Amino acid sequence: MLDNLNQDVSILQPSLQMTDSQVQNRIRQMKMEDPEEQTCYQKFCNLFTIEYYREYFDVTTELVISKVVNSFNPFSGTFFDIGGGIPELYGPFWILNTLIFTVALSVNISKYMQLQPGEHFEYQFQIVPFLAIFMYLKTLIVPMIYRVALKCVSQDRLTLLHCFTIYGYSAVVMIPVSLLNSIPNPAIQWMLLVYVLFAQTSFLTSNFNQELKYMPKEKKYMIVGLVAVVQITIMILYKFYFFSSINYQQLGLVKRKSHNHILSHILGAN
Amino acid sequence: MTDNQQVPFGSGMFQGQAKFVDYAHMNQQDVQMNTLDEPVLDTLLRDINMILYKLSYVIIPRMKETQGRKLRNWDLWGPLLLSLLLAMTLGINSNQSSDSIFGTIFIIMWGGSAVITVNAKLLGGQVSFFQSVCVLGYCVFPINIAAVLITFLQSYLGFFLRLIIVGAAFLWSTFSSLSFMSSMMNEEKKVISVYPIFLFYMFLSWFCIFI
Repeated sequence: MLDNLNQDVSILQPSLQMTDSQVQNRIRQMKMEDPEEQTCYQKFCNLFTIEYYREYFDVTTELVISKVVNSFNPFSGTFFDIGGGIPELYGPFWILNTLIFTVALSVNISKYMQLQPGEHFEYQFQIVPFLAIFMYLKTLIVPMIYRVALKCVSQDRLTLLHCFTIYGYSAVVMIPVSLLNSIPNPAIQWMLLVYVLFAQTSFLTSNFNQELKYMPKEKKYMIVGLVAVVQITIMILYKFYFFSSINYQQLGLVKRKSHNHILSHILGAN
Repeated sequence: MTDNQQVPFGSGMFQGQAKFVDYAHMNQQDVQMNTLDEPVLDTLLRDINMILYKLSYVIIPRMKETQGRKLRNWDLWGPLLLSLLLAMTLGINSNQSSDSIFGTIFIIMWGGSAVITVNAKLLGGQVSFFQSVCVLGYCVFPINIAAVLITFLQSYLGFFLRLIIVGAAFLWSTFSSLSFMSSMMNEEKKVISVYPIFLFYMFLSWFCIFI
């Protein structure tokens, strides 16, 4: 019936095409964009609406896939050229979740493979919350360290979000490596650790190098060195906590210690 | 109004049997009185029929969007029952830590559905929050079936047979929810909005293998 109304009115006055509610909506929209007219709710609680975060999720499938493929390449340094270098949070968030799932899975698989015939396998998922906290903290804190360091050398082109993006995508290499890490052979595990350390660190350093090309040498090396040191520390923590047989014993799940792990040789335990 | 009474209406007369229901001024209480009057069994049966109808959609996934229109009447009873069933099935089978498994599965199911829905909304999809949570909850049904099967046939199934059963259930679940979720998104964002669903069901499925 409203449509008929519209038609009737438009015969009389052709300019009045909008309905009442449309006019109200337009006024509301204009009010939202005018900073002086914003209500208290809109000014302070904008943080809680979805629209506020939408600009950080402005990605397409192609963009994500090309960034992921690029992150497997440790020397190219072209990460910030893809898609105009716009920072986004979709990639880091879901890569992080995939990584948590993969590591939890591979810890369980490696335990299953080390099972002796008489033992009953009890899957260990208490590790999931701890793993999640470790990964989330790592992904939150390390880019902040990078950003602080970049601020110290007064490089302002890379914002905090850029650091989050690149750090998140650098974790992609760990996903296939974690799956392979479930093989109980210690030589393979150490080789994989070295590979992932090398790949991640060189990916991050070559990209930062690319961005910092115009800076004096000392500052550049400082940033790059910081990146490398933080990576190495985290990798070592990760390896020795999640993939050592000592961990399983503490959790009381495997009664016999595995003979193969290299850590037991190093520490001379029996 | 009695029969054959003539009532002026607009430019003419309205004649005949009619019951005037003033929707503009009727309040919520009046509407609810209609369903409160009926026997309890009717209400329960209606809800159960709704749940069964939606489950039939999950079991036979339909790719055409028009046939899925009834799924838009979301309800959270189905997801609640399914998540309780899954959490209990997995909890019964673990000797050590049944209460923490129950809690974990429950949180992962509801928290995971919420996160996936918010992700779809952030990517610009026109999806209503509860509809999406409802669909994701219902599509856990095949994984439920797999968990119950594995519980009952525990001693007869080796690792690889379990892997096959759970794999089939996982693919079934993902395919069911695909038609609903991907119809909400643009062409270029379909894969990245479906990938979290894939991850979510894979996470739930892996729990079933290791019972």
